Amino acid sequence: MYPLIILLRRFKEWFVSGDAFLACIPLLVILFLLLPDVSHAIPVFARQTGQGCVACHAGGQFPELTPYGRMFKLTGYTLGNRTDVPLAMMAVVSSNSVSSKTPGTGDTHADFPDNGKVQFTTASLFAGGKITDNIGMFGQWTYNAYDTLDPNGHWAGHTVSDQFDLRYADRFIGDQTDFIIGGSINNNPGVTDVWNTFNSAFSSVPSYVPASNPAGNGGLFVAPPATPMMLQLGPVAAGINVYGYWNRSIYAELGAYQTANGAFSFLSQGIADSDMPKLKGQFNPYWRFAYNHEWGANNVMAGIFGMNAQIYANSPETSGPTTRYRDIGVDAQFQHLLDDHVITAQASYIHENQSYDDALWDPANPNYSGAHSNSSNTLDYFRAKATYVYQASYGASLSFAASTGSTDALTYANSPDGNGNPVPFGSVNSTPNTKIWIPEIFWIPIQNLRVGLQYYRFTEFNGGTNNYDGNGRNASNNNTVFAYAWGAF
Amino acid sequence: MKRLHKAGRISFVRFALYVNLMAALSLSMSACTNVERSRDVGNPNVSAEVTAKQVCSTCHGMTGNAASPNFPRLAGQQAAYLEEQLKNFRDGQRTDKEGQQYMWGLSRKMSDEQIKALAEYFAKQTPELNVTERTSSLAEGKTIFESGIPEKGVPACMACHGPNGEGIAAFPRLAGQHQNYVARQMKVFKENDGRPGTSMEQVAVKLDAGEISAVAAYVQSLPQSNVVAGAGVSAQ
Repeated sequence: MYPLIILLRRFKEWFVSGDAFLACIPLLVILFLLLPDVSHAIPVFARQTGQGCVACHAGGQFPELTPYGRMFKLTGYTLGNRTDVPLAMMAVVSSNSVSSKTPGTGDTHADFPDNGKVQFTTASLFAGGKITDNIGMFGQWTYNAYDTLDPNGHWAGHTVSDQFDLRYADRFIGDQTDFIIGGSINNNPGVTDVWNTFNSAFSSVPSYVPASNPAGNGGLFVAPPATPMMLQLGPVAAGINVYGYWNRSIYAELGAYQTANGAFSFLSQGIADSDMPKLKGQFNPYWRFAYNHEWGANNVMAGIFGMNAQIYANSPETSGPTTRYRDIGVDAQFQHLLDDHVITAQASYIHENQSYDDALWDPANPNYSGAHSNSSNTLDYFRAKATYVYQASYGASLSFAASTGSTDALTYANSPDGNGNPVPFGSVNSTPNTKIWIPEIFWIPIQNLRVGLQYYRFTEFNGGTNNYDGNGRNASNNNTVFAYAWGAF
Repeated sequence: MKRLHKAGRISFVRFALYVNLMAALSLSMSACTNVERSRDVGNPNVSAEVTAKQVCSTCHGMTGNAASPNFPRLAGQQAAYLEEQLKNFRDGQRTDKEGQQYMWGLSRKMSDEQIKALAEYFAKQTPELNVTERTSSLAEGKTIFESGIPEKGVPACMACHGPNGEGIAAFPRLAGQHQNYVARQMKVFKENDGRPGTSMEQVAVKLDAGEISAVAAYVQSLPQSNVVAGAGVSAQ
């Protein structure tokens, strides 16, 4: 009952505060329930095909796609019947509890706001599906209830454009050939990908935490502090991609990304231009190649991918020094999908080279105001996950994530609060090296609802096991229990 | 590492504008159909062959010889059986879990004509040999298939499904069907009324799990030439 009371209270606040978008949520819920055609009121694509979640999502666990789900996406979301109400909703209630709130800055509330409380974390509105026989889209707009912490210690919520993917696709079938070609306008590198191994939007590794980190680093230890650029960009990069999929085995995709402002600002609604990292030029390339093989109830994929981007160091200014990121990755997936048993495993590895194109670069120069000690750094990010789901209802998974990077006293400073105080996210060793093991159990009582419990066990954090911040904090102090309830309709 | 962007506020008016623009775009493009390569299962102008290749093939294989045992093979299946099952899905009569999850939605807007044409399309496809499970229970399965289990009152499968499991009209082809799929259907017959219009429930309740597995393995290996010679023998 408690989450329900919070939810109702939140709705009341939205009505009072006049946030019309959010106030519409209960009205939309009632609308869905009243419409006869959507009595199986489930997310927008399920409504379009009329199928259960398990058809497209392995073992019913969002977001991991089955071979059929991949084909659905690659054929431009056009399979099925166009729906009259191309909308769906998603909401997340969660609670996290960190092992130890001390040592930190001394202000445990500021370090770990709302630790241990049940929070109505996010709500998303989805709009999309089939538009024509060749065109379809996936659009997500998300309200983060815990977006920004004001000086009084109160959270402010915001609604932003989340993931967006507008596609054109055609599928040519001959006697011996099956060839899908398509194009996409999207707002996040990797949002177009159909294997859920590396991309930031739909990755199932580590264990999928729906909108896990609304507070940024605000006291939630659920990911390594440092991850590669292509996972960090978020829905602020406008991409134009083309792809081909040959005989369900060879996949190739090329994309060009630029800042999602100007003509592309519709892709980044809710994010002020002044808050966006600025990519230099219109052709920051993204690429992805994969080999897919399906046999019996099994399938495997092995792939490579990458992205190069130049981002202005003084964003939002579009002049001055830039940071040049070169991300290159390899990934693999295995799925065994045969009712009642689903076994899946994913792994991805990204190597990033960051070079700082700053004419003034000189840490010894007192006038140097850059953010890096080295002229270049590297960052390696490895993730792996194995999952078992029984009858699309009971599941368990184990994930591992590791960030390893070069030592840089400015990039990985020990006083990120700006006052010289060590805080739980600092690094006395000036490295981002972090290792996490994440066991999870979850239950899907009905296909629209999932509840889960995850444990984040840190064996290393920011370069240390003991006293990583120079203030006596150990990696294990960050171990976190994360409980969530996810619903979509 | 800090996030690379901060969130702002989206204007409801602007949001509403996008939703409406999308709706308008959607309506204005409703005439943009591509019946040669459409995946619209509710459009009666799309031919059965196109629907079979663009939609059904994704799970059932391009020629109806599904690779995954999660999905039944349809190639060479009896047209009358396929037609009846598709209508049962469409009309919500077949309530087995997987039927609901996978097939209700796809069939819900199909016309009788579309269903008939799809059934005929798959009936015409050539069934490929399936893998012969090298299991010791094949012999037991063969006995049940050909002679039934008289002491339990189980009739011979071949009495209705044909001597080679090829099926007869509304009695489905079993030859080459995935063992896992057949066993799951037997479980449906046994445990609930998920599949109407059949007397299989009376048969299934008399078989234990081992017998079901054996006879399902045997029908997967049919036709008989496959059992004898192994893979590489033409099915028809």
